[in-house]
Amino acid sequence: MACGKAINNRRPKILLPGISMDLALQLLFTGIGIGAVYALVALGFVLIFRATNVVNFAQGEFSMVAAYLMVVFAVDLGWPYWLSFLLALAGMALLGAIFNLGVYYPLRHRSFLPVIIATIGASILLSNSVLAIYGPQPQVLEGWFETPGIQLGPVYLDSQYLLIIAVTIVLVIFNYWFFEHTMLGKKLQATSQDKEMASLLGISVSTMIMITFIYSAVLGGLAGILVAPVLFVSIQMGSTIALKAFAATIIGGFGDVTGAIIGGLALGIIETFGAAYISVPYKDGFAFLVLVAFLVFRPQGIFGERVAEKA
Amino acid sequence: MALLQINDLIVLYGEIEALRGVSISVEEGQVVTLLGANGAGKSTTLRAISGLTKPAAGEILFDGQSIAGLGPEAIVRLGISHVPEGRRVFPGLSVKENIMLGASNRRIGKSELSREADAMFDLFPDIRAFSNALGWTLSGGQLQMVAVARGLMAKPRLLLLDEPSLGLAPVIVQAVFRIISEIRRNTTVLLVEQNARMGLSVADHGYVLETGRIVLGGKPDELWGNEAIRAAYLGGHAKVSA
Repeated sequence: MACGKAINNRRPKILLPGISMDLALQLLFTGIGIGAVYALVALGFVLIFRATNVVNFAQGEFSMVAAYLMVVFAVDLGWPYWLSFLLALAGMALLGAIFNLGVYYPLRHRSFLPVIIATIGASILLSNSVLAIYGPQPQVLEGWFETPGIQLGPVYLDSQYLLIIAVTIVLVIFNYWFFEHTMLGKKLQATSQDKEMASLLGISVSTMIMITFIYSAVLGGLAGILVAPVLFVSIQMGSTIALKAFAATIIGGFGDVTGAIIGGLALGIIETFGAAYISVPYKDGFAFLVLVAFLVFRPQGIFGERVAEKA
Repeated sequence: MALLQINDLIVLYGEIEALRGVSISVEEGQVVTLLGANGAGKSTTLRAISGLTKPAAGEILFDGQSIAGLGPEAIVRLGISHVPEGRRVFPGLSVKENIMLGASNRRIGKSELSREADAMFDLFPDIRAFSNALGWTLSGGQLQMVAVARGLMAKPRLLLLDEPSLGLAPVIVQAVFRIISEIRRNTTVLLVEQNARMGLSVADHGYVLETGRIVLGGKPDELWGNEAIRAAYLGGHAKVSA
């Protein structure tokens, strides 16, 4: 991939009968791009799950709402893209805080079931509120860059996918630094491992959970904003992304941060290759086929639950 | 005035009265041991003091100030550190991180925190080598050391220790109690123990708790002198029959 011209001059390498190396590289790039979106949403799932022991079924709606906020600011109001982007993320931080106070906090001493049902309720409320305002027609959001993409050897790098991959890399590094190298990150980990003990040490458990919800909402929102120019902005985009991201967390190992990222990328690559080589209409099916295979043969996922069940 | 004064404390678990009017007092600088069988209410008493369990009635005065009904985060900031039953060391964090988090009730910078945690290993040399090991990899005795070190990082005026000897080999129990006698030089300790011999060996004062009530209190040798108590709680029974 280092020198495009040299590769172009050679005859395409054959990977499988009928499959050229060039196409495979192109698919790999696209797969990683879409997988990065799943990874970001999956990360939001995992962080909330670890802090509250509850799966947030409204995680996908965070992506959807953020994409619509972009439509409001950048398209309807015509504000600059960067300003709209910052405002949409600020809006997601606010939504995360409201979500915590309105959905999780009142039920925090109950079992996981009422909380899960509340997150499903919140998900329906969010998607129907947007439906009431925007109607069922999908909206269009332009990508960040004017340039559609660049040709690198045999692979065409779409600028939006490049942005998605770059943002995901930065966020994964930030996430690692934050949780492994700051005391706040350690307090968040302590809270997710044993809330009662954390409170005995003077860690404010409710503040830690608030931070988690805000961070997860921003992550989900970021995924929605980044993927919006690739897909259409629609009411259903949240649930589609969330289902894939949820599958990614199971494949990676539920509750594991690295697993969520690897699972998301793997799923993006699998479904892109599946669509190209086997069947486009069954594109979504491949993700769930892999999910079912994991549930049957390795339910703990690639990375398993390293910590949670050991103590 | 006692550092900790508890008057007529009542704690309910649903319909069940776990504590039925417990009164104890702990003077500054003392080690006070709370003895009793399983389910007598020892841990419940500590949980009520540290704010994990809300008392239904009664008074808890710390340094003259009422703390009953405050949350655990507020109580540890006042200077009461609770090392709960079962050590509760964070399994996914390293030993040093666990110890550093013990100072979450105080506002200090990370480098200072790291220095204080390193200094803590002077008191607990056995766990120094495991500084970077994750919590779940440690043995019971090591976990107990980490839990006590973490409790001390709060710089408490009163340390609540719940069954530090539970499940440990005798030689490790001795090591833990050596540390308790070190700690008592600077810190007041309220100790809950089933191992009465060990519990009383370091104590200035002892109480015996039975089904949610204090049935006896006194100096360790007074408790030893009471035949009925020796037979029931202090493991004297085997000696008598032998």
